[in-house]
Amino acid sequence: MASMEKRLQKELTALMKDPPTGVKVDAESIYKNLSEWIVDLDGAPGTLYAGESLQLLFKFGSRYPFDSPQVMFVGPNIPVHPHVYSNGHICLSILTEDWSPALSVQAVCLSIVSMLSSCTEKKRPPDNAFYIKTCSKNPKKTRWWYHDDNV
Amino acid sequence: MSSTTQTPEGAEGGCDVPPNKSETPENEDSTFYECNICLDTAKDAVVSMCGHLFCWPCLHQWLETRPNRKLCPVCKAGIDKDKVIPIYGRGSTDKTDPREKLPPRPPGQRAEPENNGGAFPGFGLGDGGFQMSFGIGAFPFGIFASAFNFNDGRPAPAAPGSPHHTEEQFLSKVFLWVAVLFMFWLLIA
Repeated sequence: MASMEKRLQKELTALMKDPPTGVKVDAESIYKNLSEWIVDLDGAPGTLYAGESLQLLFKFGSRYPFDSPQVMFVGPNIPVHPHVYSNGHICLSILTEDWSPALSVQAVCLSIVSMLSSCTEKKRPPDNAFYIKTCSKNPKKTRWWYHDDNV
Repeated sequence: MSSTTQTPEGAEGGCDVPPNKSETPENEDSTFYECNICLDTAKDAVVSMCGHLFCWPCLHQWLETRPNRKLCPVCKAGIDKDKVIPIYGRGSTDKTDPREKLPPRPPGQRAEPENNGGAFPGFGLGDGGFQMSFGIGAFPFGIFASAFNFNDGRPAPAAPGSPHHTEEQFLSKVFLWVAVLFMFWLLIA
């Protein structure tokens, strides 16, 4: 537990000091509870999501960074993307089986921005209606099937 | 970095580079030797074959997390306990291999019982180990050998010339003939 907090504190300090373009941590919300972060993302300029402001919710378990965080879109604007369900769940392999403790909040944010940026057509996943009715609240409980490498 | 990129001709002059480098020496140095997992300066440092630095306790915990998919957290190269190299700095007094030191063990993991040969004589790797390995090595013969010879309480053969000796010789011949007849019967049948 202590190691998880220590690492999160380091990540937070680094992100506040030198945030990548389009990534902003809501520090006020974190000071109360280090295990839940809200991160504001801006859609990258020149992509389908340019000008959109998005919100990501990170939830860290006590085994972080050995266990991946729970990451999902929250807030009024859930991006329309073939790998983002309308309840905010994201189908992205680094959030489950391809997670590595060398990844970080910053790396996850950049991966998600990159995933959005390479999108060519704004549409929901084909099984969206079924998934949001049947899925667990925790996206990590979903058995994701990573088959689409194009976006 | 910023000042050298702004004035490329200044970067060539020796006077411009040192003050620029000394601007953030603590920051550069401290992040360079950070563990890739806990982001702290690596303790009991080990380096992988792919060149990535970790605290041994951190890497050990990661290897335990996915015991059948041991990958370098940074580059996903194959990695294992015997494929990392411990690093000893000059200042360190502790010369033990960091890989020998296990971090606080996860719950449920227990060490092997200490083997002093007292609980199971003959089963350990101590002086009784030979019989064990022989028995397994030459399986059927080992079993017979130990069954006939191990803990054998037979008295020593009697001295030649004594009546006891002639009796033993006679018995021995009788059994030899019994054995020969038995073999003959086996061939006939």
